[in-house]
Amino acid sequence: MNLTLSEEQEELRASVRRFLADKAPSEAVRRWAESEKGYDTALWQQMAGQLGLQGIAVPEEHGGAGFGPVELGIVLEELGRSLLPSPFFATVALAGQALTASRDLEAQARWLPGIAEGSLTATVALSEGRGASLDAVTTQAVLDDGGWRLTGTKMFVVDGDAADLLLVVARADDGLGLFAMDGTAAGVTRTRLDALDLTRRLGRIELADAPATRVGPELDATEFLQKALDLSVVALAHEQVGGASACLDAAVEYAKIRVQFNRPIGSFQAIKHKCADLLLEVEAARSAAYSAAWNAAEDPAELPISAALAGSYCAEAYTHAAKENIQIHGGIGFTWEHDAHLYLKRAKSSELLFGAPRQHRARLADLAGI
Amino acid sequence: MTDTLVSRPDLRGVPDEEFRTRFRSFLTDNHPGRPPKEPTERLAWQKAWLSALYDASWAGPSWPREHGGMDLDFGKQVIWQEEYARARVPGPLGTGLGIAAPTIISYGTAEQKERWLGPMLRGDVVWAQAYSEPGAGSDLPALRTTARREGDDYVVNGQKVWNSSADIADVLFTLVRTGSQESRQKGISYLIIDAHAPGVTVRPLRDITGGAHFTEIFFEDVRVPVADRVGDEDDGWKLVRTSLGHERAAGAMNQAANYRRVLTELVELARERGLTADPVVRDTLADLEIRLRIMRLTGMRTISDIQAKGEPGAASSTSRLFIVQFEQDLHEIAVDLLGEYGALGKKDPHAVQRGRWVWGFLRTRASTIGAGTAEIQRNTIAEQVLKLPHDPAMPPR
Repeated sequence: MNLTLSEEQEELRASVRRFLADKAPSEAVRRWAESEKGYDTALWQQMAGQLGLQGIAVPEEHGGAGFGPVELGIVLEELGRSLLPSPFFATVALAGQALTASRDLEAQARWLPGIAEGSLTATVALSEGRGASLDAVTTQAVLDDGGWRLTGTKMFVVDGDAADLLLVVARADDGLGLFAMDGTAAGVTRTRLDALDLTRRLGRIELADAPATRVGPELDATEFLQKALDLSVVALAHEQVGGASACLDAAVEYAKIRVQFNRPIGSFQAIKHKCADLLLEVEAARSAAYSAAWNAAEDPAELPISAALAGSYCAEAYTHAAKENIQIHGGIGFTWEHDAHLYLKRAKSSELLFGAPRQHRARLADLAGI
Repeated sequence: MTDTLVSRPDLRGVPDEEFRTRFRSFLTDNHPGRPPKEPTERLAWQKAWLSALYDASWAGPSWPREHGGMDLDFGKQVIWQEEYARARVPGPLGTGLGIAAPTIISYGTAEQKERWLGPMLRGDVVWAQAYSEPGAGSDLPALRTTARREGDDYVVNGQKVWNSSADIADVLFTLVRTGSQESRQKGISYLIIDAHAPGVTVRPLRDITGGAHFTEIFFEDVRVPVADRVGDEDDGWKLVRTSLGHERAAGAMNQAANYRRVLTELVELARERGLTADPVVRDTLADLEIRLRIMRLTGMRTISDIQAKGEPGAASSTSRLFIVQFEQDLHEIAVDLLGEYGALGKKDPHAVQRGRWVWGFLRTRASTIGAGTAEIQRNTIAEQVLKLPHDPAMPPR
């Protein structure tokens, strides 16, 4: 296992960071988050066209760069730092990785090129309000006259209110399956939820006999769905590392310039110790996320346990960093104008998106033979 | 001597898995068995093991070959640490290998390296650190042990404390004041003192475990050759923090390997006591499992960072803090899992596993005090890594 990024990977990181610093300053992030669409389509096109970000983990034969979870992780870490509102996480990390994990070549040929070129947004709908677990799925998929029809209600679907393509986890006679449908198909009713996280949208999707195509083989798909879920957790962990790191940087910079009692508050040990503890957690989270991505790419047998590890540690590290960032900023950190609350809201909601940390630890305990 | 060292078996080119197999069979075939109870016999037993390891060219995985080490790459160092911890053979004697050796490698003269390093690695000469004083703990630059120049000797007077392994040490590596008291870190020299020299008294210091893991040392007109000073006079302070990034990361790997075994034993203990079905206990043990794995991953990341970029990343600065918090938590959790049996001392016949967990709970109180308190470490991380401003109430660094 090598957890040190190569020169090319560092260059990827630097170019994404430059791009986001240049094109997506805080005012723009807020403006897009509040806009009707929720993101800037021109920037979305630049991300695909100039940098090839949407296709980073898409195989070359489908128009992507052919990299894997490690490079996707680098991009997500930077997106997590900037809080750029965009359908990237849902489209690339959730739907794109689910299509890849399905090994359904026809489905990949149909949708991955659109994802890579930035012309298609997509998401995965799993939760029904009882946790993001495969066991809890009750949405029914029925074969009717040669076509699949889905009935059920999906909740907390990332960008579920607007994504072009919906990949819905549902239960068929032969077990769990992944079903693709157009977001505007008949029988699909979508509403936007009032999400705590202002920079990431969540939707509710009601399916009433909605027509769909099955992705993957015509048999129980628990194995690849679990893999897709693990990959989603690892992707989220990278975003969390980026967010936590941004919070630490913001807290440290403020502590250097904020003067009270005639000295910068960063010269007080109470502040120093908080910052040192955050660095410890950010770096530990980085080890957790990077090793999980490495396993996803190189040693899939280790993916479940390292996803559970990263899912627990990175989530808590981010929330802690976001809270301490507000604390170190004091009053200004509690204002709407300061970005600190945007990070706290992203941190707390992503901590709960694919299983709470204690649920990841419960899974890890099982996997580690405790 | 150097020629024989260079002509020793060189395993750097051997494939990793073969290297693992060969080291494992060496450790199995040469395992020294259970330690003798009697302290003098035990020391001899340990020294015999270390010299056997050295003579078979299996000592010093990260050390340069010219000083008797193996100079292994990162992958093989990890394998070495894993196999060493797994085999449950005696570890190094004293604190010289981790602390004094990197300093001597960086700042010692050729003659000093030749004289000191090989015997240290072979376990023939045991080294112990003598830095802290009753009035100079966290504020080490306030130290008062003096070394007055008299011809080709220094005459050393003063008191040191909290020295681990000084009771078995042959050599003490010390910080002494050669400048004025007011000069603080600008008047400190790094001096190697013969622990058996006239005027040196080492006394055990009984600690909260009831045992004596540390000593106090008194120097009374001790004569030390000037040739035994490392670095320049009054310029010893900068030597204090020499630890090769490699060594620190390898130390983290070693700790991770040791605690891998300890945590497995703790899980076994919890299972025997019927506690692993309790969701709160499972959550707590899973948290320890996560932190242990991260400890190892960060160690690996630090070493590969050094190999790729020539310097350790920020993660290495926090690794010690991460480890000491982990080991304190692990032992306290263990004691909690014992329930009322956690209230027994180690001599009680009902004590679980001869009181090892309670003893560990007590012993690891020192983890956040020794070698720089956790508070001082946080200050250092904040100032040196995060570049937060110096506390104006503190003396300049």
